[in-house]
Amino acid sequence: MSTITTNNITKRFGKTTAVDQLSFDVYPGEIFGLLGPNGAGKTTCIRMILDIFQPDSGEISVLGGPMTDEKKNRIGYLPEERGLYQDIPLQRCLTFLATLKGMPEKTVGPKLTHYLKQFDLYDVRDKKVKELSKGMQQKAQLISTLVHDPDLIIIDEPFTALDPVNTEMVKDLLKEKRDEGKAIVMSTHQMNQVEALCDRILLIDHGHQVLYGTLKEIQDEFASRDILVTPRSPLPFAIDGVMEIRELNGRYLLALSEGTEPHQVLKTLINQGTEMTAFEVAIPPLNQIFIQVVRKQAREQHD
Amino acid sequence: MTKILQIIKYEYTRHVFEKRFLFSLLSLPGLLLGMGLLVFLISIIMVNTSPIGYVDRAAVLVDPQPLEGEGTLFAPQIEFVSYPDEEAARAALDQEIIQAYYIIPETYPESLEVKLVFHELPESAYQSQFNQFVRQNMGMFDDLDPLVQERLQDTSVITVSSLDRTRQMVEGDWLMMSLPFIAGVIFIIVVLSSGGYLLQAVVEEKENRTMEIVITSVTPNQLMTGKIIGNIGVGLTQLLVWLVFGWIALLVGGQFWPFLQDFSLPADYSLVMVLVLIPSFVMIAAFMAAIGSTMTEMQEAQQISGLFSLLVTIPFYVIMPIMENPNGTLARVLTFFPFSTPITILTRMGFTTIPIGELALSITILVAFACFAIWFAGRAFHMGMLRYGKKLTLKELFGKRVQV
Repeated sequence: MSTITTNNITKRFGKTTAVDQLSFDVYPGEIFGLLGPNGAGKTTCIRMILDIFQPDSGEISVLGGPMTDEKKNRIGYLPEERGLYQDIPLQRCLTFLATLKGMPEKTVGPKLTHYLKQFDLYDVRDKKVKELSKGMQQKAQLISTLVHDPDLIIIDEPFTALDPVNTEMVKDLLKEKRDEGKAIVMSTHQMNQVEALCDRILLIDHGHQVLYGTLKEIQDEFASRDILVTPRSPLPFAIDGVMEIRELNGRYLLALSEGTEPHQVLKTLINQGTEMTAFEVAIPPLNQIFIQVVRKQAREQHD
Repeated sequence: MTKILQIIKYEYTRHVFEKRFLFSLLSLPGLLLGMGLLVFLISIIMVNTSPIGYVDRAAVLVDPQPLEGEGTLFAPQIEFVSYPDEEAARAALDQEIIQAYYIIPETYPESLEVKLVFHELPESAYQSQFNQFVRQNMGMFDDLDPLVQERLQDTSVITVSSLDRTRQMVEGDWLMMSLPFIAGVIFIIVVLSSGGYLLQAVVEEKENRTMEIVITSVTPNQLMTGKIIGNIGVGLTQLLVWLVFGWIALLVGGQFWPFLQDFSLPADYSLVMVLVLIPSFVMIAAFMAAIGSTMTEMQEAQQISGLFSLLVTIPFYVIMPIMENPNGTLARVLTFFPFSTPITILTRMGFTTIPIGELALSITILVAFACFAIWFAGRAFHMGMLRYGKKLTLKELFGKRVQV
């Protein structure tokens, strides 16, 4: 059973349609990428899922039905607009937010201590939030999203302000949560993180669905007939079935002619005595797909 | 319910256990205590215990005996010294042996008038002591019945009483007379400060972007209910602490000023105070929350909220007409205007008996307005809670469609 199901949801603000006939599902045990350019309708979509406001039409099912007070306790949300109470100590702030998620005050302590230690914030737990660095506040916000062990985690740009070490830690934590069977919706513009984490993605633009499926399906859909080779010896000037050879930072992109398969090229190169450390089918980076799709959408809108 | 309690607890403790709150809590009693001590010290230092002389030309004082008792701390019993003529008295005054002297003229039995000569006017308490001294030692009343003599010794005290005898004011009971002002000022401070806390709480939550997290945990109604009750609790704590300070002040002050011992708050006054103050609290708090929801910056919100201070204090600007004619049109109109209801009613009650129907109607209007304020705050909050950096317009607030 899906954790989130939206069925043709539409939301308008005045004359602007923020979300238009959007349908998608998010399942337990997956990290779902909700992607789109600025103003695409991602935040509106998330706010409708969270019942902050209602769709004008369409239906949303969260954790098996309409939103209830009890279900709010099973959701962890890291909004795009970050915020914590600034004038109170960190531990008190996080404890209060956890109790609003239905955690009894007595049970907050041990879990919070665990997360504070994991995020390296234990020593600053008595400092006022405003005295913490931006990165520390970001980590604190992540703790507030996760401390009540939610079944559905919705995170908007979770890696902003995090250094590489903490980014890796958060990525590992998200994978851990996914493996525990939690459903995670991640909205980000960092396509490398989407590639590293997401099982499925939904790309929206102007409130419309543009791409929807597993990462592999989408990348396959946009895959060109190119091969990436990292040779240890010089490549031959001409290779059968290869139309063009381009150098890319010590690697070579081989554009295959119609009817040529990658294994045929590999065989040719080996036969020609070329030594290689890598031979792979060139999968278009998600970033490239994103730009390509959004530009296409913009052209169509313009036309 | 648990979540509302959590919000109440959070809102309450975040203010009450702050140094800032403790400071504001103690500043008013501290200021009053400081002023009181200053007045006390000045009074003690300035008190003049020199005798007062008199020249009895009418020879009404027969074998005058000094007054019994010790007087008060600020006006101890002083000695009254007889002089044979005005020259002698004048010389004693100039040599500062006495602080003043009375001349009781020959015509005194008919006119009952005396003349007081001084460089600095003696305390009124000393003048009263002299009156008592004269009454005590006048031989002309010796033939009268002792009960009549005793009655004559006592001065007249005028007590103004309402027709239904529920309210009365004794001449010189300045504490009872000033009660409406004291109650009004305390009301303004408490209501506006707790409203201010609420305003601050809502605006801060928008400013620091905590709102979006909170409203995915609780409903806007739960959030607003918790905030309003929590912040009203802060105001009531302030009020309670001040009342305790006031009570202690009455107990301590009663040791020096006996009239303070007799002070008691009339039951009807207390009841009306509660009936008026609670809806006023809610109304102001809800409007403050509405302002907080529509504004984006604290400074801006505080400026708008200043308007409420003006509205609430309207009765103070027209206090004289209200006191002179507590049942006049102006007083009545202000009684029915929700913002000015509390202070107008408290002031009027100090000087008149307000008809029950009038009280009931004004409280009903106040409660209705408080309900409207809550509805309005809920709407403003719902529309403005996620507006970052953009104010809500009145058109949007009263428009048909709610847009976030």
